[in-house]
Amino acid sequence: MRRELVLAVLAALGAFVAALAGVALLLQILLASAPGDAADLISDDPVLRAALVEAWRLDEPVLSRWLAWTVDAMGGDLGESLTYRPGQAVTELVLPALARSLVLVGGALVLSLTGGLGLAWWTAGRRSATRRLVQALSVTPVFLLAWLLMAGLNEAAFGLMEGGQIARPAWFALPDEDSWLKTLLAISVLAVGSSALGEIHAALEDELLRIQRASFVEALRVRGVALGPHLLRALLAPLATIAGGRASFFVGGLVVVETVLHVGGLGSLLWQACRLRDYPLALGIGVVAGALVCGARLASDVARITVDPRLSRAP
Amino acid sequence: MRASWLALGLVAAMWLLALVSGYDVVGDVDITHASAGPSAAHWLGTDHLGRDVFWRLVTGSRAFVGPGVAAACVALGLGLAAGALAGWSGGLVAVACRYVFTVVASVPRFVLVLLACAIYGNSVWTLAVAAGVAYAPTVGEEVYARMQAFRRAEFVLAAEAHGVHPARILGYHLLWVNTSRLAARHALQLFAFLLLVETTLSYIGAFGATAGFGVQEPTPSWGNMMGFEWGVPDANAWATAAPALALWSVLVAALGASQRLDER
Repeated sequence: MRRELVLAVLAALGAFVAALAGVALLLQILLASAPGDAADLISDDPVLRAALVEAWRLDEPVLSRWLAWTVDAMGGDLGESLTYRPGQAVTELVLPALARSLVLVGGALVLSLTGGLGLAWWTAGRRSATRRLVQALSVTPVFLLAWLLMAGLNEAAFGLMEGGQIARPAWFALPDEDSWLKTLLAISVLAVGSSALGEIHAALEDELLRIQRASFVEALRVRGVALGPHLLRALLAPLATIAGGRASFFVGGLVVVETVLHVGGLGSLLWQACRLRDYPLALGIGVVAGALVCGARLASDVARITVDPRLSRAP
Repeated sequence: MRASWLALGLVAAMWLLALVSGYDVVGDVDITHASAGPSAAHWLGTDHLGRDVFWRLVTGSRAFVGPGVAAACVALGLGLAAGALAGWSGGLVAVACRYVFTVVASVPRFVLVLLACAIYGNSVWTLAVAAGVAYAPTVGEEVYARMQAFRRAEFVLAAEAHGVHPARILGYHLLWVNTSRLAARHALQLFAFLLLVETTLSYIGAFGATAGFGVQEPTPSWGNMMGFEWGVPDANAWATAAPALALWSVLVAALGASQRLDER
């Protein structure tokens, strides 16, 4: 049994490495397939162009470019920023942003999973319109939700300031990247908007109904045992699957929520990198975003195998 | 269900109206009627440049209806072909196809679309193709699972025993009969996804500090209509409420219709 578990974890780890290598190759192919070449998009200056061709190995095939980039990346070198912060190492820009974004993604995962679980617990097996209502409200796009909340907060703060009841808050009408209120707002918006909460609630409710019909639950019910802890334990594997799948949407949502709410992080950095055509920076962030998604999938696989060892024997 | 299809029909009607109306997005500026409320001349009032909100809302549907259909074609074309190939062939072909699905799905869809727009240029058609490619693995994995389930099913074995050509078994018995509802569901979900991405990019792109992607002024999009009115003092509330409500309604309708297809 223990050997099977170790093998399953190793297989998940192998899948993580293979997927991450594939992501780096996919993004290199995307850059290589740009009309003209990537250096043409940056500058017409022949001297700068020649320097870019050499620095990015544009005269080499994509595979050798990818191999060289991967070897450098394994040593912590993701290249240098070109237009956003010219000359600065991409790693220096990405790591602090990643730390801030991890708080948002982690917070949104915890909030949406606990919220979805609470709602599923409440609505499972009942005839209620709650599921439809949650889904309809949760469909609201992240940017619209952020916009509505910010507009509401600004109006309320403006009213209170005019009445002399409060002094001007730090976040009012100005970008304030360190504001805890905006961080909390970003986490909430990410956890609810663009169908996040609705889909998690629906998936967990379906799982809960499936588990409630299982024969072991019937047996526990007959014996008069409290069902709660057993249902929660049986829900751990589906929760891990949902969390692993949802991480990709939250990482993508970072771009929107950080840009709209002016919260610094990986998402707003990617927006600026794409806007300024800073390809080394965009490539680095793209691979880090892929690593986050693959990492979440790996964590989800390992958690599922640990919680339910039968899964390690699955074909 | 009926309400969902009615809402989607309304969007199609708006799109047709936008195609034939000949509304001038550049010339429709009347600063003397800026931020006016709804009236007989302007059903939803005007924005802060005096432009008719109703006609901009109608014309804004062009930013996502055509690209939404194109994105669905790309995703279904790639996903159905690769999923069917993997499920029918099995072995190394299946491993290779599923590896590609995993790799593409490992890059968040919004990130892939943004990178594609940065590299290939900002247009709704780039956005449509990128959204289609980003969504294709979801379709491919589901088609693969279905093919795996039915590859050795009795009706397939019976068709093979009757000498039916493999291409007909794959194309009609497996794909057409067994995945058409799946394809319709994903087409609706992808339409909603494209609307979401297009309005989001256009909303963020409406601000000077973050401009660069999405539909740019003066061409209307439901996203940039909202962004353009942000922070305008004494603005006509309908100039932002109308696109916001329309966006929410179409998303609810598309996702609602796709769920009903799933339940039937």
